[in-house]
Amino acid sequence: MVIVELRDVRKVYPLGKVEVEAVKGVSFCIEKGDFISIAGPSGSGKTTILNMIGCVDRPTAGLVRIGDRQTKDLGDKELTTLRHETLGFIFQSFNLIPVLSVFENIEFPLLLGKQRMHAKEKKEWIDYLVEEVGLSDWRRHKPTELSGGQRQRVAIARALAGKPAIVLADEPTANLDSGTGEQILELMKKINREMQTTFIFSTHDAKIVELADHVIRLRDGLVIENLRNGADASGLCAEGGTRAAASAAGA
Amino acid sequence: MPFLVRIAFRNLLEHKAKSLIIGILLALGVVILVVGNSFMDTAAKGVKDTFIGNYTGDLFIAAKTKTSVSLFGVASPGGREETPSLPFYDKVVAHLKADPAVADITSQVTGFALVSPKDSSDQGFAMLFGIDPATYYRLFQNTKVIEGRLLEPGEEGLVLSRNQVENYAKNAGFKPKVGEQLILTGMNKGGFKIRSVPLVGIIAFNTESEATDFISYADVNTVRILSGLTLGADEDNPVSQEAKALLAAGEDSLFGGESVVAPGALKASAPGPGPAASLAPPRSGPDSGAWHFAMARLKKPGEAPKVAASLNAWFAKEGIDAQASGWKEAAGPFAASIDVVRIVFDVAIAIVAVVAVIIMMNTLVISVIERTGEIGTMRALGAQKSFVRRMFLVETLTIAAIFGVVGVILAFASIGGLDAMHIRATNPFLKILFAGETLHPAVDPASVIWSLVLVAAVAVAAHLYPVAIALKVEPIRAMQVE
Repeated sequence: MVIVELRDVRKVYPLGKVEVEAVKGVSFCIEKGDFISIAGPSGSGKTTILNMIGCVDRPTAGLVRIGDRQTKDLGDKELTTLRHETLGFIFQSFNLIPVLSVFENIEFPLLLGKQRMHAKEKKEWIDYLVEEVGLSDWRRHKPTELSGGQRQRVAIARALAGKPAIVLADEPTANLDSGTGEQILELMKKINREMQTTFIFSTHDAKIVELADHVIRLRDGLVIENLRNGADASGLCAEGGTRAAASAAGA
Repeated sequence: MPFLVRIAFRNLLEHKAKSLIIGILLALGVVILVVGNSFMDTAAKGVKDTFIGNYTGDLFIAAKTKTSVSLFGVASPGGREETPSLPFYDKVVAHLKADPAVADITSQVTGFALVSPKDSSDQGFAMLFGIDPATYYRLFQNTKVIEGRLLEPGEEGLVLSRNQVENYAKNAGFKPKVGEQLILTGMNKGGFKIRSVPLVGIIAFNTESEATDFISYADVNTVRILSGLTLGADEDNPVSQEAKALLAAGEDSLFGGESVVAPGALKASAPGPGPAASLAPPRSGPDSGAWHFAMARLKKPGEAPKVAASLNAWFAKEGIDAQASGWKEAAGPFAASIDVVRIVFDVAIAIVAVVAVIIMMNTLVISVIERTGEIGTMRALGAQKSFVRRMFLVETLTIAAIFGVVGVILAFASIGGLDAMHIRATNPFLKILFAGETLHPAVDPASVIWSLVLVAAVAVAAHLYPVAIALKVEPIRAMQVE
């Protein structure tokens, strides 16, 4: 089932008096539960596309659909709710809240929004996540007391705390050494398999791209390759998009 | 502990320098407010207690006037307007006596005179309170006798304050002695009025201040004559031809002679009970002649505004051109001086508050700019703008609460220290501010709460602009964190 759809998406940034077109009409779809890599060199538009899927940026033209919702129709409040309920984020620089402990950072998304988890259930769930990312002994520590790899593990656990359908990771291994980076990706892959969470991550590292089962390659703001399990996935949109639309209409 | 409060505490600790800058400003604000208000309250309470207890009672009744009227007379720009007598005095007093809320009443005539010794051209100024000793001293036990005695009911005479006697000795060149006959010269629309009266006693006020230094007491008839009150107010007691001849006499003839005025002559012509009344049995209330004011002590002082309102309604109904008011109106310029000091203090506080808001706002703006990535991350993770707004509000209120309490502790310590130091008032302004000779500041709990609320309001005002900046932080900023 298609969970993300981009159709003819363009993004133009004003840069002084000139306009820079970062994304020049990109279309692709992503299936639920996939482990997707958006690959390409610097300036190819990876982060811009990730930002638009993550509802933190809007396309200049075209359509971005998350589940059955078109993001261009949504206001700030609805986009925030959509991010909270559907998306998890793993940032290149970890972006942990410095004054909160490991446990509290993971707990943070659960304290937002209207629907709150019961205290006991919440604690058990966070404990599970802490254990899952291998930080049981570090739960009371502050981010400054952790290594880069440990911080990114916390970020992964935090991204999963709200049980999102999609986790977005912008170059999650960029600030880690290669060994730690591999461990982080293996962890993400493991969670992807166990929880059926869709992982979309951007990278320019060819070794990391190999781990993905769906690879979308970009160059100069255009998709140059869209392979899912080795096969061309450009037709996925027509098929999956129809399915998603039908499902939304049925609902 | 609620999550936002936890974040607030941690952020305050994380950004110690900024927290301290804001906190010190807030604590200082509380100290200034609490100590300042303590001064103001002490002064206001001191003046209030002094006047209610010693001069005005709880209720002050006077004739209606165009300008304000106080115990010291009508406030007129040139000082030439005479204080009218209280109309329908007997009826008003009878009504007051019948009011169950009223415990006791007395009356007063206020006049001004130049005091000079017999056979001397030296002169000193005196404000004269013409009283009925029987009722006045029952209401106001405000003096202690230094020399001589107080006025007896019906007795003609003068009682000067110790400070006034010293003032005459220093500035007017004469020092009145008890038993000495003094010449009082009054001036009103009818011309000069002159009386010769004995100095019966020298007193000291229980609460000495600038407000009381120039007050002297005399029998009411003397003050009535000096004020020209009896001529218009009591037609049943016409002034004798002898007195009229004296009043019409030229200044030279009045001051030129060896014996200016024969006390006996005026005694004989004085209207009202006067000296003749000294032989009469003691009265339960003031005589029914002309009076400027009536003052009443209430059984429940707190009911003064209610009783005054009820009296004013009665005056209106009966067509009596009089007005009832509280001690503040009666105290006139002295109560107003406290109000002026408070206004000056409040303006100073407002200026300090604006400066504090600007400093705090700048500090908070820097803090928001530093936390842009954190705010962006929170927004990306699903925090609504309302969450960010609440987070900053809680942080602001937390710092205001912590340093507000610190400020209160420091303020109490300062007030305790000032109280222990027994600082003496060295000038008239300080005497008013200290409500006496020595500073004994007291703290009103309501003023502490008010100070905390005000400081919290300042903190909240200071956080509005930084929060507006924080709310403009887009979630995409999370992606740009280095």
